[in-house]
Amino acid sequence: MKNRMTRRTLLSLSAAGAALALTACGGNVGDSTASGEFPSGPVTLTVGQAPGGSTDLISRAAAEGMAESLGVSMPVVNKPGANGALATQEVAALEADGQNLILLNASLITITPLAVSEEEAVSLDDLDVLMGLSQDDYVMVASTDSGVKSLEDIKNSDEKLSFGTTGVGTGSQLAQALLLAQADIAGTTVPFDSGSPALTAVMGNQVQISTIQLGEAKPQIDAGTVTPIVIFSKERNEFLPDVPTAIESGYEVPVSQYRAIAAPKGLDDEAKDTLVASIKDAVGTDSYKSFNEQNMLTPHEISGEEVVTEWNELAAKYKDLTEEHGISLAGK
Amino acid sequence: MEFFGPVMDGFTVVLDPTNLLYCLLGVVVGMLIGVLPGLGPAATIAILLPMTYGVEPVTAIIMLAGIFYGAQYGGTITSVLLRLPGEASSVVTVFDGYVMAKQGRAGTALGIAAIGSFFGATVSIIGLTFLAPLVASFALDFGPPEYTALAMLGILLVATISGGTKIKAIIAAAVGLFLATVGRDGFTGAERFTFGNLSLADGIDFVPIAMGLFGVGEILYNLEERHRAATAPMKVSNVWPKAKDIKEASGAIGRGSVLGFFLGILPGGGATISSLASYAMEKKTAKDPSRFGKGAIEGVAGPESANNAAATSSFIPLLTLGIPANATMAIIFGALLIQGVTPGPQLISNDPELFWGVVNSMYIGNILLLIMSIPLIGVFVRILRIRAAILAPITALITLLGAYTIRNSMFDVLLVVLFGALGYLMKKFGFEPGPLVLAFVLGSLLESNLRRSLLVLEGDPTGFFTRPISATLLALFIFVAVWPMIKSAIDRRKNGSIAAAVAKEKENA
Repeated sequence: MKNRMTRRTLLSLSAAGAALALTACGGNVGDSTASGEFPSGPVTLTVGQAPGGSTDLISRAAAEGMAESLGVSMPVVNKPGANGALATQEVAALEADGQNLILLNASLITITPLAVSEEEAVSLDDLDVLMGLSQDDYVMVASTDSGVKSLEDIKNSDEKLSFGTTGVGTGSQLAQALLLAQADIAGTTVPFDSGSPALTAVMGNQVQISTIQLGEAKPQIDAGTVTPIVIFSKERNEFLPDVPTAIESGYEVPVSQYRAIAAPKGLDDEAKDTLVASIKDAVGTDSYKSFNEQNMLTPHEISGEEVVTEWNELAAKYKDLTEEHGISLAGK
Repeated sequence: MEFFGPVMDGFTVVLDPTNLLYCLLGVVVGMLIGVLPGLGPAATIAILLPMTYGVEPVTAIIMLAGIFYGAQYGGTITSVLLRLPGEASSVVTVFDGYVMAKQGRAGTALGIAAIGSFFGATVSIIGLTFLAPLVASFALDFGPPEYTALAMLGILLVATISGGTKIKAIIAAAVGLFLATVGRDGFTGAERFTFGNLSLADGIDFVPIAMGLFGVGEILYNLEERHRAATAPMKVSNVWPKAKDIKEASGAIGRGSVLGFFLGILPGGGATISSLASYAMEKKTAKDPSRFGKGAIEGVAGPESANNAAATSSFIPLLTLGIPANATMAIIFGALLIQGVTPGPQLISNDPELFWGVVNSMYIGNILLLIMSIPLIGVFVRILRIRAAILAPITALITLLGAYTIRNSMFDVLLVVLFGALGYLMKKFGFEPGPLVLAFVLGSLLESNLRRSLLVLEGDPTGFFTRPISATLLALFIFVAVWPMIKSAIDRRKNGSIAAAVAKEKENA
């Protein structure tokens, strides 16, 4: 009896260990640089965010279609840390054989550098961007208790309002700061750790206004627990057609979150073409399209070169705008 | 119906075969480690955390919760049979339980402990069912000032109530508070104590700390200590207590259950303190206190009911406010975060299936434990004979693999090793890792919410006192802070305090 117990414990423990070891090493199998053939094994897509968030979901949706197109498996590996800078620097330093890819958040390139030290800032120079994926919009919402229904209400408010953001160096913070500065609204900005606590705080009127990503705010907007004020995209969002954009209200706030897939710099043309083709296949599938719709993502499937131009332009523009209006993302 | 609908849905979640299986797995593992001295539920949950990554959040938490309350049952067995408390919360059970065993009443002691445990836990689950939605109905009223007050109260209670030397608990808590400041400042983006290392930019993750301090630290410490050789367990007979025993114990079971329920809710409280308090209370209320230590059945029934009640009720602050009441809850907090579930006031409304699934699994788990605890006693006692040389490397390996898989980061593995060494040294020098871990969790809550409050209140600290919930919590904070002074004044008038007697006996155990 004693021995049987021991052995059974041992067995179950070592089985668990083995299973873990497999998941842990999965990413490195087939890293060989065997001549010509691409892909020579599983292609790993690294994500700089924790599992479960919108960035993670997007990468999993894309990886599913790409794996089918490439005919190899495509594990998604989460390496959260420093807004994704950690994962991006790690992948950028890997061999440019196309076996390792990274899912990029535009904010890491365009907005985060405005708030953090230089060592932490990431540049696109070390990467070959393959293709853009989608656009994720920010929406400003107000609590029902505050009685605020429009931008005019905020401007004319007698009370001093507080404004929640999803954190320092995020699009939520930048968009809101730009709008407040341009509209000459005085108010306190309160950073939260992510979108969900910022939304909860508005629902309880702990802060009167918050700017959050549309996908997160939409269920509460639909339920009527928070009131949408403006959306920070260039054009009206198809999922919220009645909400005005900040731009049409006369403010220059072109802030959205974009995502793209990139590889380490120096990828050969053949591998690059194969990968780009697989991304195109993936975004063309019905399941990916309905995924976008469910998550309020607007497709923004532009080429890698266009992504680089667009993001670098945005980075420069945000820098100019913050300087023009005297905004410091780190100061507040 | 509005209220009972989700509660009933919770039962359908539990009765799902997978969930039932994990519930069973959890309580068996819990009982098993309850029997093993040294390896506590906090360590076990830290070690087994990686096994839950692949399953649904509700399933994972059902299993982890099962380990926690299962351990309360298991700890009793060795206390009674071998004078070897498997858990800190069963230390007081030794006083009368072992004596009862020597008198040939081991079966009665174990039987009454199992019944008391079951009763205590059930009272607590019912309390949880009704109290949690009440607390959660204030959910949206909980803003930054309320969390600030709550975190302050929590840290104070951790430093004042936890077992062991007070000054050592405060030192450990201070280290925890310091560790909580590492990483990027969430308000200005400034780097703090990161030494330019990107891996530290988001701060130190909670899980490597817990895995290191509790998992690796305990393993190292136990290797040095070695398991004390288990003597042949005594014969267990007459497990079902006689009517007379039940009558004698029923008062103790009732008092222990209620006491445990309330002490379990308090941050810093938990199973160990409630069992001590219950023992003291039984001795105080007994007609003939001299029977205690000589095989009084109330001395087993009270503490065992109390520790189970507390184990269950400590889920209330975690699941309704997102505040872990003790170290084990802190690890379950980490487990929920890994699963993408943020415990807090919104949990009941956002994720009723998870909430009620976990709560209702406790009914099932306790029934399973009651059924199993008696026939399996002999089996569990044999487990004591597994050599540490086999157990230790396997558990260490699983811990390190688990640490890696959370963020696929070797840095985290390094952290586990570092904190493992720290945990070992802490244990060796008589520091409890609990206050450190709790202060770490509460510290980051305190800092960010205090700063947020001051922003919302525009720098005016009187705002904390004009909001009803935060004002109440702060009043409680002040009361707890000055209570030791009042208490020592009262104690000075009484000689031969019961607390001292309990502490002395604890040392002897």
